Amino acid sequence: MSQVQIKQSRGNVLALARSFKLPQWWLQSGALLAILAVLAVFAASSPLFFTVGNLANVMQQTAVIGTLAFGLTLVLIGGGANGIAGGIDLSIAANLGFCAAVYATSLANGLASPTAVALTLSAGTAVGVFNAFAVVVLRMLPLLATLTTMNIVAGLELVVTRNTTVSATGPTLAALLDNGPFAIPWLSYAFVGVGLMFVWLGHFTRFGLRLHASGSHPAAVRAAGLSTEGYVAASYVVCGLSAGIAALASTALLSGSAPGAGENLLAVIAAALLGVVFSRRLVPTVAGTWLSVVFLGLVANGFQLDNVSSYWISGVEGALILFVVSLTALLRRRNLEKRSHA
Amino acid sequence: MPSKHGLLELRAISKQFDGIPALRQVSLDLAPGQVHGLIGQNGAGKSTLIKVLGGIHRADEGEVVLGGKAVSINSPSDARRLGIEIVHQDRLLAPTLTVAEALLLGNEPTFGLLPVLNAARMRRFARTAVQEHFGIDIEPTRLIAELSVAEQQLVQITRALLSAPRVLVFDEPTAALARHEAEQLFAAIRRLRERGLAILYVSHYLDEIEALCDVVTVLRDGRDVARVLVADSTPQQLVAAMIGGSTAALVPASTRTAGAPLLRVCGLSAAARFEVVSFDVRRGEIVGVTGLLGSGGKAVVRSLFGLEPGVRGQIELDGTAYVPDDPRNAVRRGIAFVPEDRRAHGIALDLPVRENISLASLTRLVRHFMIDRRREKELVQQRMDDLQVRAPGTEAPARQLSGGNQQKVVLAKWLSTRANLYLLDEPTVGVDIRAKAEIYRVIDELAAQGAAVLLFSTDLIELQGITDRILVLARGALVQELVSKETTHQEILGWASAAGVGASPSASSSSSSSSSSSSSSSSSSSSSSSSSSSSTHDREVVQA
Repeated sequence: MSQVQIKQSRGNVLALARSFKLPQWWLQSGALLAILAVLAVFAASSPLFFTVGNLANVMQQTAVIGTLAFGLTLVLIGGGANGIAGGIDLSIAANLGFCAAVYATSLANGLASPTAVALTLSAGTAVGVFNAFAVVVLRMLPLLATLTTMNIVAGLELVVTRNTTVSATGPTLAALLDNGPFAIPWLSYAFVGVGLMFVWLGHFTRFGLRLHASGSHPAAVRAAGLSTEGYVAASYVVCGLSAGIAALASTALLSGSAPGAGENLLAVIAAALLGVVFSRRLVPTVAGTWLSVVFLGLVANGFQLDNVSSYWISGVEGALILFVVSLTALLRRRNLEKRSHA
Repeated sequence: MPSKHGLLELRAISKQFDGIPALRQVSLDLAPGQVHGLIGQNGAGKSTLIKVLGGIHRADEGEVVLGGKAVSINSPSDARRLGIEIVHQDRLLAPTLTVAEALLLGNEPTFGLLPVLNAARMRRFARTAVQEHFGIDIEPTRLIAELSVAEQQLVQITRALLSAPRVLVFDEPTAALARHEAEQLFAAIRRLRERGLAILYVSHYLDEIEALCDVVTVLRDGRDVARVLVADSTPQQLVAAMIGGSTAALVPASTRTAGAPLLRVCGLSAAARFEVVSFDVRRGEIVGVTGLLGSGGKAVVRSLFGLEPGVRGQIELDGTAYVPDDPRNAVRRGIAFVPEDRRAHGIALDLPVRENISLASLTRLVRHFMIDRRREKELVQQRMDDLQVRAPGTEAPARQLSGGNQQKVVLAKWLSTRANLYLLDEPTVGVDIRAKAEIYRVIDELAAQGAAVLLFSTDLIELQGITDRILVLARGALVQELVSKETTHQEILGWASAAGVGASPSASSSSSSSSSSSSSSSSSSSSSSSSSSSSTHDREVVQA
């Protein structure tokens, strides 16, 4: 008797799970199809698109935005699904500019390369600590807190560079641009390495799991005897560090620091949010971010090859953000309603 | 064989909040291999007692003795260390985690010292843990959000069992479960009892207590008024212990007579909340709506003010059709709504009493495009006198008033709109006795002046005392209409719980009788009272 009942209830639950997964399945396979279609168009219109050299070039070009997006993804994971009160780091692009300025200026002032790198990474981390303090200790809305930081950090960059381009050279920068195996620049390898580190942090550590739980259901984390604050604070600090790492790549690519780093912000947010599409749980993930970074990089690259103005890129990114955020919000709401009716 | 020796003893625990006693000298004795029931009305102190046990609140007086030694529980981690685990009513599991991740959050296995999660071991562990405790197989890679409520509940209990507790506290675990799911849970709890755990089971459902518990403690007004063996007691005795003495003086002696029908509701349905509910409310009449949590009673009342989406059915208000899709439309049609959570919806705490009262009737006070301050003052003063609102003055912020007086301000606001139909949702929750009596008098006067009142309440005294008829909902259906003067608390509870969760045979027999006479009038009520009283329930199941 009870056996039968259990079986019945399982049947119902499976049917329910299937029905609520259906729209999600459409979203995910639809997104994948769209991506493949876009790539197919580029491949058809330009014979250069699918060459090793071009793809390595894409990896190199996306290194800066990708590294920033990995950091931002951790903040989004720890902040949960709420678009307004949830986690965000708007200062991340400005932080990149600041770190690049620190790196270029210290090299220009004759500091040894390792010292300059350490200084740069510390600068990015310090900004992250500041954000963590504002969000976790002062309990400011992340949106507001990091907007403030963005202004402060952008100001600091101007103080360091006096709003000029600072050119920089050094052994580290030269090495990053050199070709490694398969005639692919070391910078591309470094980016893949950084990406693997973030995948490990986000997907394969206790920290990643607990950070995710903190964003998903803080009360559950507290009930497990853990404090959500530590994990959320750490995500902002790591995000700041990612700006420091990205600054090394950016300085190498630009041979110095130049104003205008803040313009990367939309691309970074787009990459981190677009990654949600690739997640079964409809949450930001590092792996998903990686996929979307590469996709956005390929789109930008394809536009270049097809001689489409690069100004279109921000329009595309903005549209993608709108599409993904509204669709996932819709799906989440559906899932919630399904659950409350269950 | 359950041991009689206590494992965990609470001795004369007292706890006050802002000078108001929540627990007075409560003692409780949990033995290993025994399920101890804890019942009582809302506000009786059940949740405070659980929080004292779980280390969320500290007792002001009294001591906790565990295994013969006095212990102090100052934090949730203290409780956990002492082997006390609490399965909370709300599911504390992150919806986007997998079963394995949710179970092991906080104790995740890694590959030795290598900081990499051992996902395979997590899955194996999760599968065997659930299987070992409950004999069912839950795929460890499924997301919590994909599980049924019962499965989530089982995962949560499994989580609590991971730390091998000696005392397990269940706080109304079946509130969101369907019947067969609840039975699954009961089987699991019995299995835990056989393993020698001391279990405290808090519930509103008397039939669950009968089916599951060995001993039951009844709380009333923060005191432990009865401690009996379940085998030696009847549900009637337990209900009597929960309700306590008479409070007849609370209720006004009414001289109202019902007039023409004002509201006709025909076949009202809202997906997953209630189905084909039909009833009338006349002018001058107070009609009560009641039901356990999830019965749909509250939703019915809210839906009439346009607060519930997806409502279908015909409604006639004062002779013309009415579609409840928007609160603004409802106000225009002369409907007033007093929500349960007045702090969230009913009152602006920072605004003065005056503005709170005049807020809904400003259009009537406007002259030459300005608010006529003198008329506003007159109106407010008159309302405050009518209702005996005790406030430092009309300009005092509502925050400074007591809960009862705040509620009177909310009522005063709607009184000023001269509404025809008043929808009240638990108007006296968290209100002291004297304010209660005054609120009852106001409601009675509203009806006496020709308004119709629809009142959702889970307070039996209130229902029986001030209403003319009572509509009882269970599991989304209107199961019985009772005439207030001719019914009993037991009968109301019986109908409300007829389709409720429970494993005792008495509950199923009464549920079959209820479906056969579901929409019949009150004439059948006296004959049904004998069958339904055998499955009586505690009354308040609506969450605070």
